[in-house]
Amino acid sequence: METLRDAFDFRDFSKPEKVGFVIFTLFLLVFPWLGAGSFVKAVVIQFLLFSLFGMGWNTIGGYGGQVELGKAQYVGIGAYTVALAMVWWKIPFWVSMPIGVLIALGYSFIIGYPLFRLKGHYFAIATICTSLVLQDIFINWKLVGAAKGIELPIHEHPDFLYMQFKSDTYYFYFIMALFYVAIFYMNWFRKSKLGYQLRMIKEDEEAAESLGIDARWCKIKAYSIASAFVAVGGGFLAVYNLYIDPYSVMDLDLSIKIALMAMLGGAGSMWGPIIGSAFLVPLDRFLGSWLGAHKGLIGVDFMIYSALIMIVSAYQPRGIWGIIEQFRKR
Amino acid sequence: MIVLDALLQGILMGLLFALVALGLTIIFGMMDIVNFAHGEFLMIGMYTAYWTSLLLHIDPLITLPASAIVGMVLGLASYYWLVKYLLRGPMIAQLFGTFGLMLFLRYLAQFLFGIDYRIVQKGLLVGKSLTVGPFIFDWTKLSAAILSLIAFLLVYLLLHRTKLGKALRATALNREAANYMGIKTERMNALAWMIGGGTVGIAGGLIVNFWYVYPTVGLLFVMIAFASVAMGGFGSIKGAFFAGILIGMIEMLFPVFGHVIGSDFLGPHFKFTLVYFAYFVIVVFRPQGLFGWKH
Amino acid sequence: MKMNKTFFIFASGLILFFLMVCSPLYAAEKEIKIGVLYPLSGAAATIGRDLQKAAEWTAEELVNNKKPDIDLLMTKWGGIPNLGGAKIKLIFADHRGEPDRGADLAKRLIEDDKVVGLMGAYHSSVTKTVSAVAERYQVPMINDSSTSPDLTRRGFKWFWRCTPHDEFFTKDLFELLKGLSEGKVKGVKTIPKDQLKNLAYACENTEWGSSVGKVIETYAKEYGFNVVKGILYDSKSPDLTSEARALIAAKPDCMLFASYLSDSILMIRTLKGMKASPNFFWGQNAGFEMADFPKTLGADINGVLTRTVFIAKIAKVKRIAGQINELYKKKYGDDVTGATGRSIVGVQTWAYVLNRAGSTDKKAIQKACNDINIPGYELVMPWDGVKFDATGQNILGKGLIGQYQWKEGKNELEIIYPFDLATANMIYPFPGWK
Repeated sequence: METLRDAFDFRDFSKPEKVGFVIFTLFLLVFPWLGAGSFVKAVVIQFLLFSLFGMGWNTIGGYGGQVELGKAQYVGIGAYTVALAMVWWKIPFWVSMPIGVLIALGYSFIIGYPLFRLKGHYFAIATICTSLVLQDIFINWKLVGAAKGIELPIHEHPDFLYMQFKSDTYYFYFIMALFYVAIFYMNWFRKSKLGYQLRMIKEDEEAAESLGIDARWCKIKAYSIASAFVAVGGGFLAVYNLYIDPYSVMDLDLSIKIALMAMLGGAGSMWGPIIGSAFLVPLDRFLGSWLGAHKGLIGVDFMIYSALIMIVSAYQPRGIWGIIEQFRKR
Repeated sequence: MIVLDALLQGILMGLLFALVALGLTIIFGMMDIVNFAHGEFLMIGMYTAYWTSLLLHIDPLITLPASAIVGMVLGLASYYWLVKYLLRGPMIAQLFGTFGLMLFLRYLAQFLFGIDYRIVQKGLLVGKSLTVGPFIFDWTKLSAAILSLIAFLLVYLLLHRTKLGKALRATALNREAANYMGIKTERMNALAWMIGGGTVGIAGGLIVNFWYVYPTVGLLFVMIAFASVAMGGFGSIKGAFFAGILIGMIEMLFPVFGHVIGSDFLGPHFKFTLVYFAYFVIVVFRPQGLFGWKH
Repeated sequence: MKMNKTFFIFASGLILFFLMVCSPLYAAEKEIKIGVLYPLSGAAATIGRDLQKAAEWTAEELVNNKKPDIDLLMTKWGGIPNLGGAKIKLIFADHRGEPDRGADLAKRLIEDDKVVGLMGAYHSSVTKTVSAVAERYQVPMINDSSTSPDLTRRGFKWFWRCTPHDEFFTKDLFELLKGLSEGKVKGVKTIPKDQLKNLAYACENTEWGSSVGKVIETYAKEYGFNVVKGILYDSKSPDLTSEARALIAAKPDCMLFASYLSDSILMIRTLKGMKASPNFFWGQNAGFEMADFPKTLGADINGVLTRTVFIAKIAKVKRIAGQINELYKKKYGDDVTGATGRSIVGVQTWAYVLNRAGSTDKKAIQKACNDINIPGYELVMPWDGVKFDATGQNILGKGLIGQYQWKEGKNELEIIYPFDLATANMIYPFPGWK
């Protein structure tokens, strides 16, 4: 009960934050009826999905301060569980998605236990390595389609059990629901015991341990939470795209994108990952689709994108949210 | 025999990996920054060698100084224009700052040179091989390995036999104390970036003799460089050297192992997977890497 | 306080901003819009831009404008006759080789640009997601150049493919090997089968290469050959020494490859360095067919074979191909290649389908696709025509096998298979390294 109250308790936010949140929610609710084209809709779905990923990453990377660059393996686990369950046994999405999350949780504990012996850069590179190893295994594992990937059967009629709809609007509301669950969860998380412990570890690990906090165990827990979030998104990705392969769901680029969006928006803050993905996803998609079709402009979109990353990380390490707060304090 | 052959080839390849990793570990040793853009430095070194040899009609081997100079300038420029500011932030901001630099350089190259794959078509060493008894070595790889040895020796001498090297090492060990001693730490940082950029530029100039250059080529080598630097211990030059050779040997021996036991599953497609896995296992048991002395 | 609010609305309303900027485009009437997805940037951009050029050129020069000096029916049209001379307008989208980006763009083309149909997407993986979107929205998609056999085995009702797929091509290879042992090949005496019997393949390990490897094994069994070694490798690997060593150690008579450009060159160089000496080198298109391959390797590849679908030499045996190639070359300076040729055929097929349908109604187009039968003499390709079977696969397509022959300081790609189209004597066995 208390947990629920905490989750819905936004009182400690400032007024503009609350107003912005309400406006944003209202906007999302009516968004599909504003007559936006399907490409814009797809971009907004991507934005919500990456916000979800980013919020998950934020638990370990933002609050815990551990630079984690291997989240794509959990996207893959989530996506592959849903896809394989559907192709092999026709298990509905609503059953296979939680199973995928459980597998991701189990795997994250197994991997997290040795992983959190490491610190700093060793940890960052090790997360990349574990993700690459899993990707390579999936690329060569014939049983799960190897490099070919898996295609999900297309149902002729919309099917709620298998999450197959013709219109993106349904997918939009579904990912939006997940997005809000994540927001409420994060709102609870930042005030929870684990949340405080993590921030303490981030400040000074030795001091935290001297207070009796088991730093390694805390980090493993946060890592698993992050993995669960990401696996949910992965499951969604499978039913949304209807095709997955190791290159698109387990790539290093995806891992970095996830961490990058959260970091650019502001790691360790509630709104950071959302702002980061609101910035980068449209930038990536729109710039890409405009400039891509013009000759002689190859790569310009990425140059703008990367210049932004460099400027923000040099100017304000706390990301866009840090810049906003800086302005507000003035 | 096949094992011995693979071992020798692995050492050659490993020396090259080590050369790519050298700059990374120097920079890290100085200021605890992992330079994500390292692979892009390599790519630019490769392009430099490619274009100079093409436009001036000279052998790609002679273009090595040009690659080294371009690499140094690039290292200096990125230090003064970006990294200096990044140093104020936490580790994650540093990582992503250099990550931004990586994307920027990569797509700048794409913008300037296009996405075509380019390779040096003619050269003193291109496509030639040396036969010693039953073993066949590519001249390109052999010369790259020898130059890598020389580069390591020079850097080692610089760090341990000169006053400048002393200052560099002092800064790496304790920045503040070095500052009190009158060492200009900022200049030392810039110097580390210059050496780092220069060595990787040379590596690029060597690699272009046998491998394609295209804007995203850096990623191939940089992941191996990351693994070898981390495996050897961040900041340790000896570590990068031996870890590079170890990785080269794993990469060559593993497929042979699969071949000998007749398993198709353990084929060459897992050779780099095993490298990453080996890194993971090594650091889990030795969290500071093989020769590491930093946290 | 006011400042704060403005800032906040700015942050949360970012999406709204992008929404407004992205207004849909409305084109003039009497145009039939077809969405074309190609990789115009990213790793495959070179080939993507070539495909775009070829498609655009075909729509403009062959379909929309009259060109009486070419012996094609459609060049007399000046637009689609049964649709009142309507012009074809291609709308290009850049998917960068990423499946999910392709799917998003397909949605944009269908819903925002209101295209009549889709074409593309070169990468088999992207074609998979794009065709799934097309199927969901019930929009016809004609694929021009993706060769994964799986694509037409999914029971889709809105997907057709003009190009033969990898099984056809691999079968051609075994027909050639069989032909060698039966003395059917131009300029080569009958080769005893035990000199060809042992095969080894090395394929890159993405979807394309691994499926080629599988198909090679199936056909080897069917034709009575023996696969002594099969390797899948990472095409991005900077070093293929161990792969090459494993291939040579198996002592094969024939070495077969499915490689992209950089790895195909590295592979050949490494094999040369190790003095490999099989009788027969064959590459499954892609890297082996690109212009850079002969340019870089020069005399080294004298005798290497590659499967392809179009060789400029075809002009010798097919007049129309020569005419089109000449026009194309005059405009862009390049010969038509296997990839761009298929793009041309893709647009041609769309024109015929639209003409037959006589309307832009989806159902009519679906029916037209199922009924279409384009005769071979109308196509730039040396095919028997375009006619789709129940799965949507063109059953009249044909592959070619060419051989690089070093003549007077230049690599010439000569046709070896099919035997009746052969333009030169085959060099057999592989003459060794220079």
